[in-house]
Amino acid sequence: MTRQSPARSSGRRGAAAAPYLMTAPAVVLFVVFILVPIGYAIWLSLHAMRVRGAGFGIRTEVFVGLENYLDAFMDSAFFESLQRMLAYGLVMVPATMGLALLFALLLDAPRVGGKRYSRITIFLPYAVPGVIASLLWGFIYLPAVSPISTALEAIGLPAADFFGDVSIFFSVANIAVWGSVGFNMVVLYTTLRAIPKELYDAARLDGCAEWQIALKIKIPLLRPALTMTSVFTLIGMLQVFSEPATLRPMTNAITQDWVPLMRVYQQAFVENDIYLGAATSVLLAGATVLLSLGALGVFRVRNTRSER
Amino acid sequence: MSVPRGTRPKTLPTIVLALGGVYAVLPLLWVVFAATKTSEELFTTFSGWPSFNGGLTGNLAALNDYGDGRFWLWMLNSLIYAGGGAFLTVVISAAAGYALAKYRFAGQRLIFGALLAGVLVPQITLAIPQYLLLSEMGLVGTYWSVILPSVISPYSIYLCRIYADAAVPDEILEAGRVDGSSEFRLLWSVAAPIMTPGLVTVFLLQFIAIWNNFLLPYIMLANDDLFPLTVGLYSLLNRGASQPALYTLVITGSLLSIIPIVALFLFLQRFWRLDLVAGSVKG
Amino acid sequence: MHSRRTFLASSAAMLFLSACGSGGTDGTGDAAAPAASPIGGDENAAATLTFWAWAENIQRVVDLWNSKNPTQKVALSGQAASDELIAKFLTAVKAGNAPDILQVEYQSLPTLITNNALQDLSSAIGDVKSAFPAGTWNLTSFGGATYAVPQDVGPMMLFYRADIFEDMGLKVPTTWEEFGALAETVRQKDDKRYLTTFSPGDAGWLAGFAQQAGASWWTNDGGAWKVAIDDPATRKMLSFWGGLVNSGALLGDPMYTPQWNSQMNDGTIIAWPSAVWGSGVLAGVAPSSKGKWKMAPLPQWNAGEQFTGFWGGSSTAVSASSKQKAQAAKFAKWMNTDPEALKVLVEIGLYPSATAGQTSGGLDAAPEYMTGQPDYYEAAAQIAQTARGFSSWGPNTNVSYGAFEDLMPTAVKDRSDFAAVATKVQELSVADLKKQGYEVAGG
Repeated sequence: MTRQSPARSSGRRGAAAAPYLMTAPAVVLFVVFILVPIGYAIWLSLHAMRVRGAGFGIRTEVFVGLENYLDAFMDSAFFESLQRMLAYGLVMVPATMGLALLFALLLDAPRVGGKRYSRITIFLPYAVPGVIASLLWGFIYLPAVSPISTALEAIGLPAADFFGDVSIFFSVANIAVWGSVGFNMVVLYTTLRAIPKELYDAARLDGCAEWQIALKIKIPLLRPALTMTSVFTLIGMLQVFSEPATLRPMTNAITQDWVPLMRVYQQAFVENDIYLGAATSVLLAGATVLLSLGALGVFRVRNTRSER
Repeated sequence: MSVPRGTRPKTLPTIVLALGGVYAVLPLLWVVFAATKTSEELFTTFSGWPSFNGGLTGNLAALNDYGDGRFWLWMLNSLIYAGGGAFLTVVISAAAGYALAKYRFAGQRLIFGALLAGVLVPQITLAIPQYLLLSEMGLVGTYWSVILPSVISPYSIYLCRIYADAAVPDEILEAGRVDGSSEFRLLWSVAAPIMTPGLVTVFLLQFIAIWNNFLLPYIMLANDDLFPLTVGLYSLLNRGASQPALYTLVITGSLLSIIPIVALFLFLQRFWRLDLVAGSVKG
Repeated sequence: MHSRRTFLASSAAMLFLSACGSGGTDGTGDAAAPAASPIGGDENAAATLTFWAWAENIQRVVDLWNSKNPTQKVALSGQAASDELIAKFLTAVKAGNAPDILQVEYQSLPTLITNNALQDLSSAIGDVKSAFPAGTWNLTSFGGATYAVPQDVGPMMLFYRADIFEDMGLKVPTTWEEFGALAETVRQKDDKRYLTTFSPGDAGWLAGFAQQAGASWWTNDGGAWKVAIDDPATRKMLSFWGGLVNSGALLGDPMYTPQWNSQMNDGTIIAWPSAVWGSGVLAGVAPSSKGKWKMAPLPQWNAGEQFTGFWGGSSTAVSASSKQKAQAAKFAKWMNTDPEALKVLVEIGLYPSATAGQTSGGLDAAPEYMTGQPDYYEAAAQIAQTARGFSSWGPNTNVSYGAFEDLMPTAVKDRSDFAAVATKVQELSVADLKKQGYEVAGG
């Protein structure tokens, strides 16, 4: 990634300015729509609405220093939501990556039928908005309307409880897995197809089975791609919101502060405290940056080691 | 594709892959079935099988009539947001990605690093500040209020950089310079055509991202004539206590809202180079 | 404030603020003056008003107005009625983009008022006060000022499947004690059926039950707020439901889910404590049992009493930042008192707040769905007379509601003590009020 073409712009009039002009629109938009809003969110997080005067009172915006951050740190609901997010992630991340890798390897393996059909259908859910995906899975989970429960009852089995204390994590994770396996699968599959086939021929001549080729040759070659997709799946875990938020009205098992972003949302949009919400989300964004850099660092160290 | 010895598919891998397809497609089938039901049937008949009592045509007609065809307006709006936003994203990201890949200039690492970190900030953090900012610019409640914040996509810039780095050979650029082409002409008529498959991918990913976005348009727009499908369907789903969700409309609407995305995906499929997401395009 | 601003001006974040002017964040303080002063301007001057509302088909009332007032156009924007709408409106006020007119649920009014987002309408709408029952008018008056025109109310009543009650030989309960016994009888007679479900995620529904039981969650007493969410009436009410849900005599699943729709349709659930607008909901969720539902007064805590509470209902308010307040107030007044407008409100399924709206016009015939009960609206009007509300809504009702909606579902799931939830909500509500700087009595 750090490979650069040799500098060649010197000596040509106007050429030195070219990269700046080309990046200018992106930089300006980045500053206006990401950097300044972040700054403003930080500013908000240092303020709060407080009442002036007795009685009904009118709230005014005042500077409160780090008070919101203290509140956010003392907020047990926030830490509980972090735990639930991790439990959810423990299901979602391995399932997404595992299935994506499995399907990608199957697509790339010889003598597997129905590839065209499977590639398209497994990708399709990616095109379904999270809110709508959650709504339709909600229908499938609710006992009285669930086709699964109806089918189970028809063969004399007890109805499945998708909203139990433990099963809820699987039910929510399933929606995310359903929506993202296809995307990751296509990424990995396309990477596999870029690998020269000659690499496998020697192994085949040696009598390696296809699963051995997958394990010993393909997966190591996929490592950079697996790193990137894993990091993006991890970011997806940290920012999980629409699936549990859409399911919440349907079940007692999901509270309004079920995962961290729902807690932020509750603070900003239900309790109308955008200031506390800003503080919580600044903390969360900070944690996300640290975690992602950490994850990338770990992968990078591993990769460089294995390359040596 | 290498042609292996023997052509008969192996049973177990084929079944596993087919199961994956079934897992992906069954819930979608459920939407198709549910859209065929009248509101009486929706909650009283088995949901794993369609109905043939005119429910689908009735639902389509009801959706068509809702608010004098407002649903179609929402779909058109979604197309404008997603199509316009994705197009602008591609233009801006292609230029930035190309510059970051093919030039060496002061501040380059800072720009690239900052852009990448942008992926990590949750949208909820940004939504309210963006709203206040855009209203200062007088843009809230216009198409621009949804399009402009969507256009800056760190992910897209990252993809374009990788693609430009891998796909555009330095020698061609050098040759162009010798011929006296300006730097911008090189970008436009030499690099851009080579980058097309990558740009199509960026367009499609960004199109889907904007099409599926809910929070930004929800915050920015008050006029329901400007709503995209996600916000419109959400408003059908969340009525007051005295007016429960219009489920049949929402379900039929959801089905119709998936169709353009699927069509676009199937149409652009052959231009795809998703492998660039993984940063492993062969140069 | 000022020294803080100088201090902050040096920070990077402040650059943005100065670029945005004071309207961005400091606007609430500046807006204080106009909101408190009486409305100026000519209410008949030409205007183009924007109106945020969520009621289904309310466009029809707007169309009626527009056809009669060609120089004062109202443009409706349909919204989702959700918690987010209040945050969206507050943000819009902050940014100066707020609509002129807003449909607001009663319990959200104090939040908007204390954020200085609503115009005091006392001077402009005082002349229609007598068109409303005194109790209803109080729902929009706070600290001696009136901030909105009441639009519709939801006095609570009990809906039940008359056909199934008859088949099973059940008697409509008149007290909660009978209701509890009946819930168990239903389970014994048919283990596929439940009397009803206790929906833990609807704080507004719980508030209605608390009102009926005689609670008054908020009182503003000479400047200090008194919060009584864990008062004996509320605890009694919650313990009652808790006993029934925890013993399995009632369901504890949320309302308004696909599952609930299905159960209301197929007779799994055979009664529903709801409000007067419930017939319209039933028509939507249980179309196949048309004519089979009937309505009766809510069961009472003490035999011989007649009380009920309110669930839902909304009002029409004018935003503090509107530049056409006089015209906006005129529209709000017209929509909720004009006989023709009231008639349309009834037709689109709202039960008007105005006395005239409840006794005449469109309410002569029962709703089409309630064919089993031709005197539906007469019975409803009688029940409405017995409704009592809280003496006030609190300035942080949203926080209390949020707490209920978070804790109650967990209590149902864990089968724990429901009354303990009231204690916890009380604590959270008082702590939040204090944090915001309110004076809290007895806390």
